[in-house]
Amino acid sequence: MTGLYTRWAIIVGGLLLLAMMTNQQYQRDLSTLSLATVLNSPGTSEPVRIQGMVKSGTLSGDVEQGQATFELIDGPTTLPVEYAGPPLENIRELKTMVLIGQLDKATKTFKAQDTALINNFEFVAAAYLLTVISLCWVLFAMSQRVMVLFKEIKDEKLYEPESDPLAKQE
Amino acid sequence: MLNRFIRYIQRYKGWFGGAAVICLFLGLYTGLLASPADYYQGELVRIMYVHVPLAHTSTLAYSVLFFGSIWYLWKRDPLVDNMCQASAGICALFTALALITGSIWAKPTWNTWWTWDPRLVSFSVLLLILGGYLMLRKLVDDPERGGRYAAILAIVGGIDLPIIKFSVEWWRTLHQPMSFSTRGVAISDDILVPLTLMSIGAWLLFAYMVMVRTQILYLSNLLQAKKGRLFSQTHFSQTSP
Repeated sequence: MTGLYTRWAIIVGGLLLLAMMTNQQYQRDLSTLSLATVLNSPGTSEPVRIQGMVKSGTLSGDVEQGQATFELIDGPTTLPVEYAGPPLENIRELKTMVLIGQLDKATKTFKAQDTALINNFEFVAAAYLLTVISLCWVLFAMSQRVMVLFKEIKDEKLYEPESDPLAKQE
Repeated sequence: MLNRFIRYIQRYKGWFGGAAVICLFLGLYTGLLASPADYYQGELVRIMYVHVPLAHTSTLAYSVLFFGSIWYLWKRDPLVDNMCQASAGICALFTALALITGSIWAKPTWNTWWTWDPRLVSFSVLLLILGGYLMLRKLVDDPERGGRYAAILAIVGGIDLPIIKFSVEWWRTLHQPMSFSTRGVAISDDILVPLTLMSIGAWLLFAYMVMVRTQILYLSNLLQAKKGRLFSQTHFSQTSP
């Protein structure tokens, strides 16, 4: 049994390490901040990602040239955005977008330089967790069952020859 | 012949398990960390690295069940019957997981958890057939008769395999067409590497799981037979004058 648990400890440890590395990469490259968090932050020179919906009736500028101003909403919070970067291919009003840029604390305007795809990472995490946990659970149960069966066979002395009841009667 | 092959390959069970773990770890690493997001699907493409191997492996598992059932009806080999039963259970697990992960991918992509698409429906039918197979084995008292009926069901249910495979070509469907065909490979290398690693890992894992489950069924039958013999011996000695 000790060998079984050691093997599984190594597998679970490896999976946890992989999960931690994935989470680290997600926090670094994909996670977005809420508009309220950005507005309340002291403001840094490092670019941040924000996600929100383009407010209806606020979009103006030349989006094909990569110049646009609009307001982004996220629940009750609204944040004015000045975009200057690569041409915006499919921006429209009421569209949820991820923008990369910095907050200008003086004007309370978000200066965006790029856009990113909405990551939907919760769906990815759900699919992986479900698959890995189910397979590990079934495999562990199977390995344990084999051990239990071997023990039962040992206890039952199945390998010993059986006496023939008919021969005994004679 | 198949009996001898199963006994021979059982010796290398540990190697299959070890190779599966290595492939799956490499696949998970490349799929989650090393590969880039897709231009259209974004991060959601990573779900494909679990969904597609699970779906491929479930059709492989059903193929094993199908051919094993034909062999069992022909030779009546109990070890092959055990292998079929093992394949059916594992196939059901892989099919259910493929359907659920597909559904998780469909929600943000198609904006629905489920649609009556030919590929989805034919794959769900496979799960129903497997449910019927496993229930039949449980419900029929005589294991040999149960095995025979279940084998017939598995062979008849085999008609679903080509339907699953070609459903995306025969009918208008939301599901992606075949990525591997005689026309070539329609996937970029960035996606192909984790997908291949995960697929090989899933196939090896299936092989390992079938071996372990076949062993469980074999040992359980052995124990049951021993207990049955002990019971009849006791009964015989008590009732004899």
